[in-house]
Amino acid sequence: MDIDNSSGFNFSGESYELDFNLLKLAIDASVAGIIITDYRQPDHPIIYSNKAFEKISGYKRNEIIGRNCRFLQGDDREQQARYILKEAIKNGETATVELRNYRKNGDLFWNELYLSPVKDANGNVTHFMGVQNDITKRKNAEQQLQKERDEMERRVIERTRSLKENEEYLASILQTVRESLLVLAHDLRVLSVNRHFLRTFKVSEAETIGIKLYDLGNGQWNIPQLKELLETILPSNNPVLDFEVSYEFPHIGKKIMLLNAHQIELDGEYKQHILLSFEDITERKEANQRKDDFISIASHELRSPLTTVKGYIQLLERLLPKDNDKVTHAIAKTNDYLNRMNELITNLLDTSKIQNGKIELHKEVFDFDQMVKEAAENVQGSYSSHRIKITGSTKMDYAGDQHRLEQVVVNLLTNAIKYSPEASEIAVYLSRVSGFIKVAVTDYGLGIGREDQKKVFERFFRANSIQKKFPGMGIGLYVCDQIIKNHKGTLWVDSEAEKGATFSFTLPI
Amino acid sequence: MINKTVLVCDDDQGILEMLVLVLESYGYQAIAESNSPNMFDTIEKVHPGLVIIDLWMPEMTGDEVVKQLRKKPETHDLPVIVISASMDGKQMADKAGATHFISKPFDIFNLIDKVEEYYA
Repeated sequence: MDIDNSSGFNFSGESYELDFNLLKLAIDASVAGIIITDYRQPDHPIIYSNKAFEKISGYKRNEIIGRNCRFLQGDDREQQARYILKEAIKNGETATVELRNYRKNGDLFWNELYLSPVKDANGNVTHFMGVQNDITKRKNAEQQLQKERDEMERRVIERTRSLKENEEYLASILQTVRESLLVLAHDLRVLSVNRHFLRTFKVSEAETIGIKLYDLGNGQWNIPQLKELLETILPSNNPVLDFEVSYEFPHIGKKIMLLNAHQIELDGEYKQHILLSFEDITERKEANQRKDDFISIASHELRSPLTTVKGYIQLLERLLPKDNDKVTHAIAKTNDYLNRMNELITNLLDTSKIQNGKIELHKEVFDFDQMVKEAAENVQGSYSSHRIKITGSTKMDYAGDQHRLEQVVVNLLTNAIKYSPEASEIAVYLSRVSGFIKVAVTDYGLGIGREDQKKVFERFFRANSIQKKFPGMGIGLYVCDQIIKNHKGTLWVDSEAEKGATFSFTLPI
Repeated sequence: MINKTVLVCDDDQGILEMLVLVLESYGYQAIAESNSPNMFDTIEKVHPGLVIIDLWMPEMTGDEVVKQLRKKPETHDLPVIVISASMDGKQMADKAGATHFISKPFDIFNLIDKVEEYYA
């Protein structure tokens, strides 16, 4: 800053003294701290400081004058900005730096220092002017911001790592499961595929990724059922589970598959991706079919000799003299056991069918009371030990599978007789109860304990106490329960041990 | 004069023989045929008043035989009782146009009751 009085610098229009006083007041009115150091004296002492500098530093003027500026740095000497300052001072240049300075009470403040040299007519530096602004607030805000940025970045790194881990975790699951998995884009192009799929359908990853599902393997995946699932069913029934697709593949042959399809509904990158998982149930189906066929053929074959034996026994019954009690008894017993055997075969076949959900109902309208009456007569014909007494009526023409329901009534009646050896009567009560028809079969026999009551309708369940006295397979009631359920009805038992049991079922009208 | 000839067809020799004996014991003339495709010739030859036929037989099933019989005017009204151990036997027999269905194993007294109905 060159001051040249000869240029006539005078702004008050009065004396230079007034100018000087006004300038001094102006400098003291500044919020920026201003100091002047003398460059010509050793250690460049401060020779002037304004009011603001006192305020910023907390020192009084008499504590400031004569000292080097560095006294504000305290012990915090190793600051990058110092070297910039040193260089500027050495070269007589201006510089702006941000310094950590300390007030008299030891508090840190950030000092934005603007340094500019004052030179004489020969260009030699005589003084330095220092303008200082307390930028602690701004600095703190900046530092806070930086801290937050760092924290954010740390979190992003952390999150990315966790995502990557998750991705690897998911990928490893995808590759490990023993089920075929495909991920499709919304246009049905394959996005990813697992090893199980590649192995099962004998394709390579290169032949699969990016290809539209229907175009895979020369169009062998253009399966009408699959098309229906993806285009018609899935959009309105997401997710679709256990959808069975059966298809004859050109190279690998017939496959029966259970499909789960899940359209991902999240917003974002994975939007509208479709997850498809295939379970190959071809072998299981075939094994089941073989088992069904076997049981079906076996029970059919078993019935042929049974028919012959039964026929001959009845022929004997007809031909032998009626006056021999022992012969009559022997024939009646043989007949009973032939009937029992036939029941077992029927139940075996039914269980196999029911297990595979194949129980077929042939519904037709029939006289319900008449059906029960015929079933009772049928059972009465085989067992003379008990009297079956029917009371009440439904007076219904019911639409259901007459043959199957008759099977239920016969089963309940034969059970009732079998498990009440000491009793002589079985009571059947028919009624209509608000929208249902009800059949109750009561015996006065062994009864069923509370624990066993829940289990009697389970397959192959036999009450322990009963197994010893009355061997059997324990599928009769299971079959009954399934038949009643297939008619949307309910079968249950009320009983107390040693006091007999009532098996009832209701069917909706 | 009543035609008491009953033609019985079953591929199971045991059932066939038993049925013949049972029917004979009730005074019917029972004729056994174990080969279902021969049924048409045998019917022409023996002119039965009633046919009892099994459902599941090799070469030709019982319901198929019934269907063919129903197509010919001379056997269109011939009473045919279908017997079977099969669960869907009744549906198949009804569909083919059988007169009656009895499931195996049957009660011979029930069977004879049915047979006598056609001769009543």
